[in-house]
Amino acid sequence: MRSVELTVNGVAVVEAVEPRLHLADLLRERLGLTGTHLRCEQGACGACTLLIDGEPARACITYAVLCEGAQITTIEGLEDDPIMVALRRAFTAEHGLQCGFCTPGMLITARDIVRRLPGADERRIRLELSGNLCRCTGYVGIVRAIRRVLQEVRSGALAAAASERRKLGPVGSGRAGPAPGGLSVSPAAAAGGDKRGAIADADLGLAGRKPNIEIHQSLVIARPQAEVWTFLGDVERVVPCMPGATLSAVRGDRLQGGLAIKLGPIVAAFDGEARVVRDDAMQRGMILGAGRDRLGASRASGELEYRLSAVQGGAATRLDITVRALLLGPLAQFGRSAIVTDLAARISEVFARNLERRLAGLPDATQQKAIPAASLLGAVIAERIKNALARLLEKFRR
Amino acid sequence: MQPAKFEFARARSLGEAATILRQASGSAKVIAGGQSLGPMLNLRLARPSVLVDITAIPELTRIEEDGDGVMIGACVTTSDLEDGRARVDGLPILATVAAGIAYRAVRNRGTVGGSLCHADPAGDWLPVLCALAAECVVTDGSRVRRVPIQGFVTGAFEVMLEGAELLQAIRIPRPSRAARCGYYKVSRKAGEFALASAAVLFDREGERFRAVIGATQGRPIVVEDARSILRGVPQPGGAVELDATAAGALLRRAQLPAHMRLYTTALVRAAAQAMA
Repeated sequence: MRSVELTVNGVAVVEAVEPRLHLADLLRERLGLTGTHLRCEQGACGACTLLIDGEPARACITYAVLCEGAQITTIEGLEDDPIMVALRRAFTAEHGLQCGFCTPGMLITARDIVRRLPGADERRIRLELSGNLCRCTGYVGIVRAIRRVLQEVRSGALAAAASERRKLGPVGSGRAGPAPGGLSVSPAAAAGGDKRGAIADADLGLAGRKPNIEIHQSLVIARPQAEVWTFLGDVERVVPCMPGATLSAVRGDRLQGGLAIKLGPIVAAFDGEARVVRDDAMQRGMILGAGRDRLGASRASGELEYRLSAVQGGAATRLDITVRALLLGPLAQFGRSAIVTDLAARISEVFARNLERRLAGLPDATQQKAIPAASLLGAVIAERIKNALARLLEKFRR
Repeated sequence: MQPAKFEFARARSLGEAATILRQASGSAKVIAGGQSLGPMLNLRLARPSVLVDITAIPELTRIEEDGDGVMIGACVTTSDLEDGRARVDGLPILATVAAGIAYRAVRNRGTVGGSLCHADPAGDWLPVLCALAAECVVTDGSRVRRVPIQGFVTGAFEVMLEGAELLQAIRIPRPSRAARCGYYKVSRKAGEFALASAAVLFDREGERFRAVIGATQGRPIVVEDARSILRGVPQPGGAVELDATAAGALLRRAQLPAHMRLYTTALVRAAAQAMA
């Protein structure tokens, strides 16, 4: 196993991988990004074509370890890309797909043609498509669709900036990466398969999906860095610091537990699993989790990343935490509002205080099972009612 | 499909690469873009114990001009040459050949050095660089030696690299301004490996007329004086004809009777390009 850090569709991903794991398997099996298709696995058919450092490349013959620090963009990450929007529209209009198997790779190549060869004629388009095999529709519709988009570019209706790559060498490669050492992965993780718990590894964390909650927090804990790092590695001591959190099982790097939340009238009790990845050399850890609300139908998955650094001449430790989560279901209507963010901020504030006290050998500051946030909720709801009224009024005015 | 297990190491310097290769004593394989090795690993045709990534070694992505030649770092990619990001003055043939290799998605990772070290007889760079009389710059981390490209490749998928050695760069002597190079390959489909290929260098000033036949069963066939197989006066705008008897004899000696017409067609077309 080896640690590899890359960016997938704009989201930082740290994964412990076998060197033989190719990018397509990483994306599909671990991150749940199944838009990258796999067929020949020898670089011939083009189904797995995606963007590495902004340029098209084959995912099936590019091993993840070769892509340290690379920017990976899959078809999922191009949802809002203007050229891709135009291509999707043109593929629909020109019947550019039938079964859809080759389509993600076809679209990536088509986008490259539009950017790199705005003057391409039909012959050139066909030549450029020779590395993407289609078995059902044939190329007529695909070629027409690309020509349609090229026409939009030539008429100035669509902007297509050429690549600005200056660096020489294979796209995605060439970065020295962190110093050797890297991740300490538990033996269970190294030996085990992908499905050790009720939730598959691929469903833990964001898996490249866009989060609807993002929280950054920095806390200073009045203890030396080495002490904090060791403590954070001991999940059975860390979890109780988290208000509302319970730990039911630890198996290797997999944790099972729950998180109870009480927010005025809203109660949620998430049962979930998490996987912990820690990088001793970089003093950085990542918790990839997913859970389901036992009481309602909400689901959540997310990633918590923490980094340690020494402050105050080593007497204290700065803990930088980033949480990115995707909340789905009934609770998600609050997902983008301040409510969840504020609640999470409060939880982590209590967490930091408890952490500090435990390190100092003191009992927890609060023994709450769940965070009551009535006053907070009141403020947010008042805000929401005001907004709803404003929208309603606007409708009447029209 | 998953390759057989291998360990992974990333070399940050030529010295580090040599150390890793020496420790692995022959069971390691160097990887750059992996566009030839990847399929072989996935198909489990290649089963190295260690894969050594050399792309982070700064020297390997450099283009350096010296007095009468240019050094192209081994990890410069085919699309670096195609796009002119890797600027090589006076050798427009490199961009032309690059644009016809495999597919764009492959060219973005596939390197010139990797292609040469893979030494697939049907590869494009080998015959072209033979026609240009390139040299391979080989290093074991301390000692550097230059090997003529014809000596670098010893057979199909075989090169002369030993122990801790790796290919650092390809050095191409700068041809005269009158020199022209042509390359033609016959393949069943755009982007596929060649069934037959030929490269021809015609340099009126340097009085060179070199022909190379590629996609053979082993090393490319280099004909130093192409007048032995092509009749007519080589000159700009001129035309040469195939000397069917001589070319036929040459191809038979190389045990290439099966696609003889494909080779001779590639040869004549490459020569025509070089004289255009």
